[in-house]
Amino acid sequence: MFKGIAASRGIGIGSICVIVEHDLSFEKKKIEDTAAEKVRFSEAVEAFKAETSAMAEDIRKRIGPKEAEILEGHLVMISDPSMAGEMTKMIDAGQCAEAAVEAVCDMFIGMFSQMDDEMMKQRASDISDIKVSMLKLLLGIKDIDISKVEPGTILVARDLTPSMTSQINNKNVAGIITEVGGKTSHSAILARALEIPAVLSVPDITTLVKDKDTAIVDGTEGIVYINPEGDILSKYLIKREDFIRKQSELKGFLGKETLTADGESVELFCNIGTPKDAKKALECDGEGIGLFRSEFLFMDSGHLPTEEEQFNAYKEAAVTMGGKPVIIRTLDIGGDKDIPYLGMKKEENPFLGYRAVRYCLGNKEAYMLQLRAIIRASAFGKVKIMIPLVTCVEELRAVKEMVAEIKKDFDANGTDYDKDIEVGCMIETPAASLIADILAKEADFFSIGTNDLTQYTMSVDRGNSDVAYLYSTFQPSVLRSIRHIIECGREAGIPVGMCGEAAADPLMIPLLISFGLTEFSVNPVLVLTARCIISKWSKKEADELADKIMALTTEAEIVAALKEASKE
Amino acid sequence: MVSQKITVTNEQGMHMRPASLFCQTVTPFASDVKVVFNGTTYDAKSVMMLMSACIKCGSEIEIVCDGPDEADALKKAIELVESGLGD
Repeated sequence: MFKGIAASRGIGIGSICVIVEHDLSFEKKKIEDTAAEKVRFSEAVEAFKAETSAMAEDIRKRIGPKEAEILEGHLVMISDPSMAGEMTKMIDAGQCAEAAVEAVCDMFIGMFSQMDDEMMKQRASDISDIKVSMLKLLLGIKDIDISKVEPGTILVARDLTPSMTSQINNKNVAGIITEVGGKTSHSAILARALEIPAVLSVPDITTLVKDKDTAIVDGTEGIVYINPEGDILSKYLIKREDFIRKQSELKGFLGKETLTADGESVELFCNIGTPKDAKKALECDGEGIGLFRSEFLFMDSGHLPTEEEQFNAYKEAAVTMGGKPVIIRTLDIGGDKDIPYLGMKKEENPFLGYRAVRYCLGNKEAYMLQLRAIIRASAFGKVKIMIPLVTCVEELRAVKEMVAEIKKDFDANGTDYDKDIEVGCMIETPAASLIADILAKEADFFSIGTNDLTQYTMSVDRGNSDVAYLYSTFQPSVLRSIRHIIECGREAGIPVGMCGEAAADPLMIPLLISFGLTEFSVNPVLVLTARCIISKWSKKEADELADKIMALTTEAEIVAALKEASKE
Repeated sequence: MVSQKITVTNEQGMHMRPASLFCQTVTPFASDVKVVFNGTTYDAKSVMMLMSACIKCGSEIEIVCDGPDEADALKKAIELVESGLGD
């Protein structure tokens, strides 16, 4: 068994085809007839462009425009004055074309691979791909045609270059294994787009296997088996069937309403971190944004973002969602999230200190900018304001006062905004949970943040491995707290959502249905999974399970009982 | 010679697509167009050079144009960065 990076989910079983790397060494010779060498070089450049644009076109048609961008980038790069231009200069100085290509490409590969930026590092592999293709053209080397491999082939390569991946067809390629590459590499992106299971970064795999070996590629777990024993093979044949069945079941939920088994409708929203993610939420069929973390605006820039910068970001999310709700959580810093330019003090107990709404109310000028930007964005969609880490009703009141003041100002100068913009509380502290009835009278909505709620309720730092075992949302205390919060919201007639990881947990979902949660906010990729699980539970069944669970006394019993009742 | 400072606000910074758009926009001008970032000057008519600067969201850059149509070139370049570099 070999372990690697799980880059594209699913199980692939088949026969190996190793893609051999060609020897691209060449003799560096001094060129006398530089004019002729330049002709040879520009012919290779033209051939490269023709090949690359044909592949880009093919990918665009077969997979999509986003995936074709990689190869279009290659066209831009080779045509750049500092690439082809520099190479030509070197040929003028008497170098052969191969040496010129290698020297210029290697210079850029060195430069980009040293950058402290994942996307820029990707450029190094682009340039390396260009170099290899150009050298093959100059040396007259032909590759095997990956598009023509036998059905059921597992491709094994040191690295899959974009030009190789462009020939991959999911009709005949059952899995991919490489020695290099991560989750964001081209190979991974393409494998996911084509839904081919892939495990990347398996050390030395090309030398450990040979053609026609049998392989299992578990792209969900990042595991590879070569020539597996019969029992492992049969286990994985079943796993593969399960995976395929589940995938097609999930696809059946695309574009559907989120309903419980007895037809009760609930909202299924997404958690996002940037305005761009809103597009992803829509693609994944999210019905709104239940949590837009506004921190990225503050963390990614070196200065306090202006009202205008913030407004543009919030507006973009609102416009993208086209009238579907967008709940923006105001700045939640402090705790484990530091923003250097704000010059926050080091604290003994940052999680009990000056963070989130406490910090914002202590820095009203900056907070005012954020609230103004959010309220202005409300003219472009259904935007809501959510206050993090509320512990007493005065905090909610203070924010609402600021909102009222801004509205008055906007009315006076004719700025557009949604007059009914809602202000809600994140319920993520034991204090807020205990006074949920008080808060519910003055808040427009609640959203339960299970990560902090669990940490504060259990008084446990989940990063500390000695106590992490206590960190569980299934602790009776946490479940009681959640039930209480939802009950208080229901009694006051306000919606209660959940935006922590627990909202997508298959074991938690039936309990939430029983408690009466009205909105589930999950990571975009989990929308269909959550919708599928919600559809399996009726209120009555969920209530029966919840009654049983809430009578249990330990976390272990609860988890065991929930697993047993699970409908996965 | 004319120049102006501006903050890059598109989320990706000067990655492949924004950099090529920037490059395509300034290349038709007869003037030299450079980008100064962190004390280094980069040729803005080269995508590779622009990307090698590793300019991220929130970075302040200075665009410097020098030549017969420098004012127009600067105006176009600033407009493009302000509009978010097509992102």
